[in-house]
Amino acid sequence: MKKILAAALALAMVSSPLASIPAMAEEAQEPITLTVFRGDPGDQPADDNKIYKKIEEEFGVTFEFEFLAGDLDEKLGMMIAGEDYPDLFDGGNSADLLIQNGALINLLDYVSPEKTPRLWAHIEPQKARLIEKDEDGNDVLYIIPNYGLADGEQIVNQVNGPAFFIQKQVLEWGGYPEIHTLNEYFDLLDAFIEANPTDENGTPYVGFDILCEDWRHFCLINPVQHLMGRPNDGEVLVDVNSEDFHTETFIDKPYAKPYYKKLNEEFHKGLISKDTFVMNYDQYIAALSSGTVLGMFDQTWDFNNATFALQDAKMYKNTYVALGLVYDPEYVDGKEIEEHYVNGSLPNVRRGFGISVNCECPERIVAMWEEMMSDEWQLLFNWGVEGEDYYIEDGRLMMTKEQYENTQNNNWKLHNKALAFTESSPKKQGYIMEGDLAGNCWEVGNQPEIVFGQMNDYDKEFLEHYGYQKFADFVNPPIELAPYGEAWQIDYSPVDIDHQDFLDIQDKYLPELIMCDPEEFDALWDEFVEEITPSATVFGEFMWEAVQKEAAKVLENE
Amino acid sequence: MSRPAANTINAGAGHPKKGFFQTLCKQWQLVIMAVPMLLYVLLFNYGPMWGWITAFQDYTPKKGITGSKFVGWDNFKWLFGRRDFLESIRNTLAMSVINLVLGTVTSILLAILLNEVRKTMFKRTVQTVTYLPHFLSMVIVVGMAQNIFASNGPINQLLQGIGLIKQPIFFLGEEKLFWWLVGVINVWKEVGWNTIIYISAMTAIDPSLYEAAEIDGAGRFARIRYITLPGIRSTFVILLIMNIGHLMEAGFELQYLLQSSLTTDYAQTIDIFVLKYGISKQQYGVATAAGMFKSVVAIILLFAANTIAKKLDENTLI
Repeated sequence: MKKILAAALALAMVSSPLASIPAMAEEAQEPITLTVFRGDPGDQPADDNKIYKKIEEEFGVTFEFEFLAGDLDEKLGMMIAGEDYPDLFDGGNSADLLIQNGALINLLDYVSPEKTPRLWAHIEPQKARLIEKDEDGNDVLYIIPNYGLADGEQIVNQVNGPAFFIQKQVLEWGGYPEIHTLNEYFDLLDAFIEANPTDENGTPYVGFDILCEDWRHFCLINPVQHLMGRPNDGEVLVDVNSEDFHTETFIDKPYAKPYYKKLNEEFHKGLISKDTFVMNYDQYIAALSSGTVLGMFDQTWDFNNATFALQDAKMYKNTYVALGLVYDPEYVDGKEIEEHYVNGSLPNVRRGFGISVNCECPERIVAMWEEMMSDEWQLLFNWGVEGEDYYIEDGRLMMTKEQYENTQNNNWKLHNKALAFTESSPKKQGYIMEGDLAGNCWEVGNQPEIVFGQMNDYDKEFLEHYGYQKFADFVNPPIELAPYGEAWQIDYSPVDIDHQDFLDIQDKYLPELIMCDPEEFDALWDEFVEEITPSATVFGEFMWEAVQKEAAKVLENE
Repeated sequence: MSRPAANTINAGAGHPKKGFFQTLCKQWQLVIMAVPMLLYVLLFNYGPMWGWITAFQDYTPKKGITGSKFVGWDNFKWLFGRRDFLESIRNTLAMSVINLVLGTVTSILLAILLNEVRKTMFKRTVQTVTYLPHFLSMVIVVGMAQNIFASNGPINQLLQGIGLIKQPIFFLGEEKLFWWLVGVINVWKEVGWNTIIYISAMTAIDPSLYEAAEIDGAGRFARIRYITLPGIRSTFVILLIMNIGHLMEAGFELQYLLQSSLTTDYAQTIDIFVLKYGISKQQYGVATAAGMFKSVVAIILLFAANTIAKKLDENTLI
């Protein structure tokens, strides 16, 4: 195995144009340990991890990871208050806090067409979105996005973002119906649970779960915009057809009411359990993993661990299909709403690793990233070691069944993947554009040979019934990305406190609305609207202005 | 144990004229022993207090204390204009009082019961079993509580089983029940531990009192009423004063872990408020102001309790 490693390494060095710069290589020999903070929970990689070993051999860099435990804002707040920063950190959705408090360095001091051609070529197409102005009007780039800078056509094999999910067995039981509206969805769930109150082991099914814990409360507060036919803009609804990108908070508007009224009805039918409102994330994942939750609104990545667990247990019929639901015409004055859950691809602005002001070797980290953007490293990170983790046949990247199953095994990954580092680092996505492997996909999960070749029989048969090629066919193809991107990425920290009030009031009232006596619903809804209007107005107006600014910035550049 | 200590305090306070420094020199060994504690308090309790300046500033870590702008009482004004802060004061006080009353009553009750038990083995076992939960992490306790009090948890099943209720009680999501839930969980966790001090006070009671009472024909309840209870009275008062000083600290972990969006209005204590605004929302000035308010109220409460105890001619703490 060592020989293969060495051969691959030699190959990498010969074929990479930068390997001919000896100065950089020499400097990189001095060993260094980088402290890294990841703003999400995770597992420490194994000590004998082969990819980290390679990084250490090549760059002299080892990592000391810290993963999030508890609340992200609290953790970052503690770091900021004490100016106690790691070398690298991924602040997740709260990276704005780090930027505002001056915790991150401006990468433009190190990234340029001359110094880092690969990184520059990577960000160049989206530079209008990525490079921002600071208070003094200087160009700044704090974070190179971890995802969303893909080469080639957008690949949509499955819905990765928000959707209404339903267990495959429910659709199977219902005779593989087409489900497009809110009523169709809940009617099917009602019918299924009436016919099958419990699973094979006698555990009662839960019809619909709503996760409301902390920032994951998007499962509770976000669906209305999608029911109105828009992809994910966070907590606002943008009218992309209007000239001024009319933006408003949707939760306080009359068109939000039918959704919660529907949930209220379903609650009283027993489809929704009270316990869902006090459930924490771990309990939610445990419930999903047990296969007894029939449906929920969520985003695919949010319950990946449950999906893996279900697949591991070969409970394929209990895994989920993403459906793009819209309001039935009766809820919106007879209007037919066109469904758009999947958006055009967009860089994950301000999300990924930033280098902290306390880091003593920013230049070396950027140089390392630059080197890692080479095809060899990207192939290593995504596919692994040739002959060991994948093989090439007629210019196509392939995996045996065993190799593919390894990639689905969490424990194997800790030994053979450098995910804790690569997930938050700049990376290539989409298609391989040049060389012998052109036309293959960078990511294993996107490669057609893997997606279709390794699909389990249940799924294959399931898709056949619908006459679909892939699970993304359950929703409409992506629409063109609006010029402002997606509004959830906008930094709302200037109205942070109002935004917090806005969220707090929703967290308090929406569960109450779902659980209240149907006769009291209207009165409680009016009370909710009255309570939330002040903060919603401030937040909505801020967002409208911000959406316009963002759109102007991108349009100007075109 | 408590008696000699009380005497020393009285002795010190009783002869102030003798010359403070003379006494100090005479007790130099004691002074040396006190130095580390003094340093500890200065360094960790008084030292950080200069940070209270930030309560009057629009503080950001980037600018620091010297660079941040002074805003006078604005932070306090903002605080007291916020419903959730006023609610968190209410919640803190309510849960403290519930904890104090429930905790004291149950631990005295248990101490008396244990004191009356003559079988040593049984007594020891009960004591150990009841104080073990004290060592459990709050995370574990809350995890257990969430399972026990869930809609389909054992408590609801029991109540439904014996026909007391038809629909399960939504313990975890009903805001009105939250304070009591906290009280009950605290009792479960701390009752054994709190009992220890009362039991030790009871063992200090002269057994001849009981013998004399028995000869005079006093029954069990009379002995408890006229000997045991008066015997632990001074312990009770000292603990009460100490607890009143802590009234503004209703606990943090338990509420933090047990709350959900349904119960926040009744679960948020001042400490959680400070964490939320001070750390998560970076409103350092506001959070410091809230913390400062809490400390000032706590000091006032402590002195008030001490004064009342003095009036009642009891042992006092200060």
